[in-house]
Amino acid sequence: MSSSLPSLIVLLPFFGAGVMGFVYLFVPAGRNLRRFYVAVGIGTPLLAALLGLIVVGEMLTLPASASIASPLYSWIAIGSFEIDVAFVVDRLSAVMLLVVTLVGSLIHIYAVGYMWDDQGFGKFFAYFNFFLGAMLLLVLANNPILLFIGWELVGLASYLLIGFYHHDTANITAANKAFLLNRVGDFGFVSGLGLLFALQKQSGFDFAAIFAGLGGIDTAMLSLIGLLLFVGAMGKSAQIPLYVWLPDAMAGPTPVSALIHAATMVTAGVYMVARFAPLYNRIPDVGLFIAGIGAASALLAALFASWQNDIKKILAYSTMSQLGYMLIAVGLGEYSNGIFHLAAHAFFKALLFMGAGAVIIALHHEQDIFKMGGLGSRLPAVRRTMLVATLAITGIPIFAGFFSKDAILSYAFASGHTTIWAIGVVVAFLTAYYMFRLYFVVFVAPNHRSSRSRQSPSLTSLPRSMVWPLFVLAAGSIFLGFWNLPEAYGGSTWFSHELHLADHEAHLRFAKEYILDGFNVLVALLGIAIAYRKFVRPSHPLNAPIHRIAWQRALANTLYIDTLYDRLIVRPLRGISNWQDRLIDPKIIDGSLRGLVTLYRGVATQSARLQNGNLRWYALTFLLGVSGISLYLLIAIGGAS
Amino acid sequence: MMSTLAPFLPTTLVIIGAFVLLLISTVRSIHLKSYLYITVVFLLLAFAVALPQFGTRSGVYVLPKVFGHTYLADDFATLFDLMFLGGGALTLLINAIYLRKRDYYNGEFFALFLFAIFGMMTLAHANDLVPAFISLELTSIAIYVLTGYHKNYRGSNEAMLKYLVLGSFAGAMFILGTAIFYGVAGTTVISELAAFIQIHGSEHLLALSTAGLFIMITILFKIGAVPFHSWLLDVYLGSPFPVTMFMASVLKVALFAIALRLYLILYVDTGLIGNQIISFLAILTLIGGSWLAISQSMLKRMLAGSSIVHGGYMLIALSSIGLGAHLAAPAIMFYLLSYFISSVGAFGILSYIAADSNRPLTYEDFKGMAHRRPYLSAMMAISMLSLSGFPSTIGFLGKFYIFMSAIESGQFALAGLGIFIAFVSVYYYFKLIAMMYFYPCEEETCEQHPFEIHVSTLLIGLMALITIWGGIGTSLIPWFPGADGIISIAKQAIGSLP
Repeated sequence: MSSSLPSLIVLLPFFGAGVMGFVYLFVPAGRNLRRFYVAVGIGTPLLAALLGLIVVGEMLTLPASASIASPLYSWIAIGSFEIDVAFVVDRLSAVMLLVVTLVGSLIHIYAVGYMWDDQGFGKFFAYFNFFLGAMLLLVLANNPILLFIGWELVGLASYLLIGFYHHDTANITAANKAFLLNRVGDFGFVSGLGLLFALQKQSGFDFAAIFAGLGGIDTAMLSLIGLLLFVGAMGKSAQIPLYVWLPDAMAGPTPVSALIHAATMVTAGVYMVARFAPLYNRIPDVGLFIAGIGAASALLAALFASWQNDIKKILAYSTMSQLGYMLIAVGLGEYSNGIFHLAAHAFFKALLFMGAGAVIIALHHEQDIFKMGGLGSRLPAVRRTMLVATLAITGIPIFAGFFSKDAILSYAFASGHTTIWAIGVVVAFLTAYYMFRLYFVVFVAPNHRSSRSRQSPSLTSLPRSMVWPLFVLAAGSIFLGFWNLPEAYGGSTWFSHELHLADHEAHLRFAKEYILDGFNVLVALLGIAIAYRKFVRPSHPLNAPIHRIAWQRALANTLYIDTLYDRLIVRPLRGISNWQDRLIDPKIIDGSLRGLVTLYRGVATQSARLQNGNLRWYALTFLLGVSGISLYLLIAIGGAS
Repeated sequence: MMSTLAPFLPTTLVIIGAFVLLLISTVRSIHLKSYLYITVVFLLLAFAVALPQFGTRSGVYVLPKVFGHTYLADDFATLFDLMFLGGGALTLLINAIYLRKRDYYNGEFFALFLFAIFGMMTLAHANDLVPAFISLELTSIAIYVLTGYHKNYRGSNEAMLKYLVLGSFAGAMFILGTAIFYGVAGTTVISELAAFIQIHGSEHLLALSTAGLFIMITILFKIGAVPFHSWLLDVYLGSPFPVTMFMASVLKVALFAIALRLYLILYVDTGLIGNQIISFLAILTLIGGSWLAISQSMLKRMLAGSSIVHGGYMLIALSSIGLGAHLAAPAIMFYLLSYFISSVGAFGILSYIAADSNRPLTYEDFKGMAHRRPYLSAMMAISMLSLSGFPSTIGFLGKFYIFMSAIESGQFALAGLGIFIAFVSVYYYFKLIAMMYFYPCEEETCEQHPFEIHVSTLLIGLMALITIWGGIGTSLIPWFPGADGIISIAKQAIGSLP
């Protein structure tokens, strides 16, 4: 069936961005304008969310394989080949639609409080809406070309927002880094698309036509396509080796981090793999590779997170780690578990970032957790909601993260990928450790040093718009898990069933599942206990750790990967371009060109000299022309007859 | 009765407007702005009347009892009418600020402007060489006066005189050609001539070829094809800005209207000699024009030189028509549109900036412009990119269709030369972009000028947007004709010719 609502949902945020951008550029700033920006900036995502709920409600009344198409117009039509600008809501994009619009709207509301005093308030919301629109374009696209446009626009929006405080060079560098690394990924992605386009024989290029024609392509080529597409996901979803932009992307305002990490951008890679499920189901080897990359990234990021001191960087690495889980899931073919973890993660990660943002604002832009401490009693609302999110991400039962994460791990175990399962358990342990390290140090541990002397009198009070979205998200983080209650706990995995993706099947006996889950919980509790021992009841006064041992120092410096990339890739490239700049360009290319130009200009000056302004001379050239033509006629025709 | 007179309505509105302006131009109390808007209203009214007429007829003689077969109403002429009317209105509105800041404009200026457009419209409708000549002269005389409108400026007077003398000189060739045609065929009606040439062409080859070429020479002169181009730089430079813009854009469209109509009968499947000469002149024009453009330091002269080159591109397509390329005629129409849009943008910005200064603008004046006027610089850059035929602008598609038609007709070398000249043109167009963006601002005051919101600047912005839109998608914007749509409109217009 078709409906115009999905198109409207995509266009609304773009419209808001356009209007706000226009007003920001052309209307002189004033206090009243803020209300306008708030109205438009929050209004359009909320309206999109409302329409999204309506569409999804309609969707649930249809059979599971049905989708709601929303063709806007024909974009490219060459002969029988057609690419439409068309949107489609099926079960998969419905989930993404809800996550993006609902969580996105909450982040927008939160951003009103966070950005209220900023000069570029209007600009920020224009970008923000643009970001949301780009993500909606990505998830609702009915063909890969349109998806790719959304993919690129998301990259552009993140670039604009990461570099939002553009007066600081470091932020610009971070924005550039994010953009460039994403370009590397995009190159792979677009190569994959190109290959797919070249090889498929169907006349259309929307998803349905592509999947119908997959049988005609041999497996080796399919694997290559799958790999190339996944390279794009590596960039967007910040996986090894293209992850280094993610921690630096913290340079943007905190709502931006929340939006990038929770609702938009990084989930794009996971979504893309799930969207191409019919393709990846044909190439299980590539799927295994994806899962391997996911596992490795999850482990590495968890290790890094355990040794960071910057509150936002810890959260950044935790995102990378959780994305690793999602990619394990989609790589192993349990797409609906991956998407479910994505949705749950969107809630608690948005909550974590917004909580962190609240702390940062309250402490006047302090981000080092060891300079915080003891905030629990003074920011009770933030503390409580952060605790919920921390429990959720740690995977403590009844919280959303428990169901979503354990579903992934038990599937990995059930399908025989025990190495991946083991890595997952280690990561779960580390997650518990570093998340509670964060929580304890910031909220629980006794107040120490700097905060007592200088900062304790003045905590900035938080505006209401920054607090109540936290509670909504906290509620989501608690209850979302029950939507996909496994059969072992008396549920029916309603979410996975309704999602209707081409999942692989693997079942465990309930007893085994209880044991596995119990083990996971134990591991998590162990992590919490260690964190408690180290940071709440420390043997010595709690200070920012000074790492004396080499491996600890290496981890705190994230294994010097950035430096490594710089040495191995950036510097040689720069060397080559310098060499080209010094030798090839000026001497060989410019030199030969300059010679030509001098010659041409010489002739030009001579011919300009004929333009001497003399009327008689002009008439003469005119007559010469006429004579020449007449002469030619005489000769040509005289010879012919 | 109404339906038979309907084809006259746009033309009539324009001539009525001209007389109204002539009458009220003696009233001292009317502000210049009012004249301008009265003119624009008449033009837009005529546009609105002409628009629904497109696509309704092919080759209807209007009032045959009065005019015989001289006045033809077809889609071809209607499309050109639309271009003249829209182009005229745009020219005036974009130059509104310039006109306002000069004290020598008055109501008569606008009356003459409308007379010129009236002449162009009747030229597009003419099915007889004599009325065609009268229309051409009507337009020319109006433009001669407009050229010299800055009475106290020597350059303007000189430009008018040169244009008048040489223009009359060239006009004589048209009459000569017409006389020879009449002597051989006994008629000056274009469609009857076509029939005559089809049957008796080979008997009177020399006379007919000479006559055809003489007429073409007049048109080539007005287009500014080498070697009939020498007047062009001086005249463009001496004329007031709005007039230069009008000549470079709208007048060129009118000339190609008659050129296309004549060319399609004279040189398609007739055996008349002339096509090779046009090809040859295209080569001369491309090379000579770019030589002229490359050595200029004044922007107005550079644009004048480049307008010669653009004429050369259209000559490529014109000669391809004679060799049977079906894409060629629509390609010319598309190129006219694309050149019109980009050059109106470029001239518009020049006139907007020149409105505040009294000396001719050079490349140097644009140094660091991007710091002072970022929006205007961006629009200028877009116009320059489009004029040079940079991909993703409408100028690229225009050139693309031209070269396609050259290849379709087998003129590979000509297409190659065209592409080469397009590369050369990058030099003088990008020089301006480089001046604007890569040089520091050298003037005493480098503070940013605010973007003035005015009908002129907004229209320039609109032109820039259209330039990009036209270059990007066949139908990127829904419910709006893209490049494909324009080509099919042009094809329909060409198809309406007998």
